[in-house]
Amino acid sequence: MSGMSGLWLVARREIATRGRTKGYLIGLALSALLVGALAFLPKAFDGPDSYTVGVVGSPALQAALTGTQDGTPGDTAVTVKPLTEAGQDEAAAITVRPLADEAAARGALLDGEMDAAVVGDRKVLADGEVDRELDVILQSAHQTAQTQRQLAAAGLDPAEVAEAMRVAPLEQVSVGADTRYAAARAGIATTVIIVLFFLLMQAAMFVAMGVVEEKGSRIVEILLTSIRPWQLLGGKIAGLGLLALANLLVIIVVGLGAAAASGFAVDLPPGMTGIMLGIVLWFLLGYAFFSTMAAALSSLVSRQEEVGSVLTPMQVLFMGSYLVAFFATMEPGSAVARVMSFVPPFSSLVMPVRTAGTEVPLWEIGLAAALMVAATAAMLAVGARVYERAVIRTGARVKFSEAVR
Amino acid sequence: MIEIDDLRKRYGDKTALAGVSFTVRPGEMFGFVGANGAGKTTTMRILMGVLTADAGEVRWNGGPLAFADRRRFGYMPEERGLYQKMKVAEQVEYFGRLNGLSAAAARGATADLLERLSLTGRAGDEVGSLSLGNQQRVQLAVALVHDPEALVLDEPFSGLDPLAVDALVEVLAERCRAGVPVLFSSHQLDLVERLCDAVGIVSAGRMVATGTVEELRAREGRGVLKVVVRDAAPGWAAGLPGEVTDEGDEVLVAGVDGDGQEILRAAAAAGTVEHFGWERPSLTEIFREAVA
Repeated sequence: MSGMSGLWLVARREIATRGRTKGYLIGLALSALLVGALAFLPKAFDGPDSYTVGVVGSPALQAALTGTQDGTPGDTAVTVKPLTEAGQDEAAAITVRPLADEAAARGALLDGEMDAAVVGDRKVLADGEVDRELDVILQSAHQTAQTQRQLAAAGLDPAEVAEAMRVAPLEQVSVGADTRYAAARAGIATTVIIVLFFLLMQAAMFVAMGVVEEKGSRIVEILLTSIRPWQLLGGKIAGLGLLALANLLVIIVVGLGAAAASGFAVDLPPGMTGIMLGIVLWFLLGYAFFSTMAAALSSLVSRQEEVGSVLTPMQVLFMGSYLVAFFATMEPGSAVARVMSFVPPFSSLVMPVRTAGTEVPLWEIGLAAALMVAATAAMLAVGARVYERAVIRTGARVKFSEAVR
Repeated sequence: MIEIDDLRKRYGDKTALAGVSFTVRPGEMFGFVGANGAGKTTTMRILMGVLTADAGEVRWNGGPLAFADRRRFGYMPEERGLYQKMKVAEQVEYFGRLNGLSAAAARGATADLLERLSLTGRAGDEVGSLSLGNQQRVQLAVALVHDPEALVLDEPFSGLDPLAVDALVEVLAERCRAGVPVLFSSHQLDLVERLCDAVGIVSAGRMVATGTVEELRAREGRGVLKVVVRDAAPGWAAGLPGEVTDEGDEVLVAGVDGDGQEILRAAAAAGTVEHFGWERPSLTEIFREAVA
């Protein structure tokens, strides 16, 4: 049997046994559910993106609102491109309802049947304030309708007027940092850090518990007469890593799917594929680093009760990375976030948050990844050495210095 | 052939092994006995590569015992270890695969073993749900699944009911007939005496006796004569050479030099000799004598 097939046998066992546990399945379901719900959250708090507008008289305004030339009255839902806030490239749906007179408009507004009503090309009524986005749409439509009417009155052909007035909207270009997607990016960055925190912590704990289970029950004595320590350790890390990776992919698919379903997807910044690939890469690096550390530390003890205390150094490092990364979700452009996104193992959590939160030059990502790969390789070398020496020494806790010597 | 050659091991100030040597030949069942803490488990763990010796060597068929050789050994550690949450058949198969069996071969060997160890009905149960005795049988199955070329079993009989002992004895005897050297430790000396071709007695990290049970008897047991004389006058044996234990009709004379004919003559002179013969000490007695 080759080394790799031994490792793969161990990995398969981990997947088969751990993947069936309630802990993993519940974590999988909850994380997917949470991310799915998060994708709907922005829409739940935003104003509606569809409006019902009453119009008294003024077929021209109706036509401008519905985008039709003949202004056929009736409940016609059409989409218009609103001149809303930067980058919000989405389309709002407007339903126009012709009304008999102002009294009918007031009644309908007070009954909450519509968001606003335009009366006789003179005023717009609302119960309270007109929604900002809707106001822009109505003013723009009013402008168009009145201009067309006045030009027609001056003797111009309405068709030519309409043609002349078809103007491409201005494209927004930022000369500084592109902040158009700031809100969406912040949301994604927060989701990323929550997901990575949960997945990395869970996977590292699974590794630690698995190591101690084998050591404490002395299965390791039988295992190590059949396979090498690196196969056992590597197989465990690979198997549990694949499980965590599957969980991450499910979260990404559910998250993007839910974003598409909720309409949030149109708010997503460009380069989402790159951001998601980066998250997977950083997850794998972070997982390799922290799970190897967890395995090495937990191999020093023989009982599950001791796992918590022996893992303290890893948890401190991990929590530290998490806190810096969490800070980075709020201040992705700050110097702290920038510097820490290069320092392993902090980078494994901070860099994906930064890339989600703001634009990061490729060379920075490359440099941070190279440093993290080097740190992970070092951790694997030291961790495997500690594990190999400590895992067979059952009984009292093994001193780290003895194991590494 | 497994050769253990002068193994030494210290833990700090404490000497665990101070020169342990013995040989287990192909097809031989070797019983390894000794008091708790005498060094049996340490020896077996060094043999299986779980521990490293400070000095000494373990040889397999003449060469140093390597990792690749050990993979073809069956091992049952002193402290039993199985995945509690894994199903019985899955677990035995898994260890078969780890030792190089193909998936089909592991499945076949597992089914066979579970049948022989009366575990077929529990094949789909989690190991943790089994009684300790049945878990022990699973542990044996794990040690045997890859048809090992040598067996190293630390206390394989402890915790087994008589039926399971019989099943295990049968399996071990069969492996021995196939030419496999079998080394096991046990505190059940009657079992060792019944089963083993050879016995090694370890005491305080040193081998104090090795050989067949008969050889040990000859060495340890010789020199004790049991004489039963009817109608003898009390105290007839008082003047005999050696240590005399007079229990009325039955007289034991220890420390006899020579063939004991003078004692026979004295007995015949004292009355009617009903029994005259060398004592055949049990392994337990030999053991007590050896470690004393």
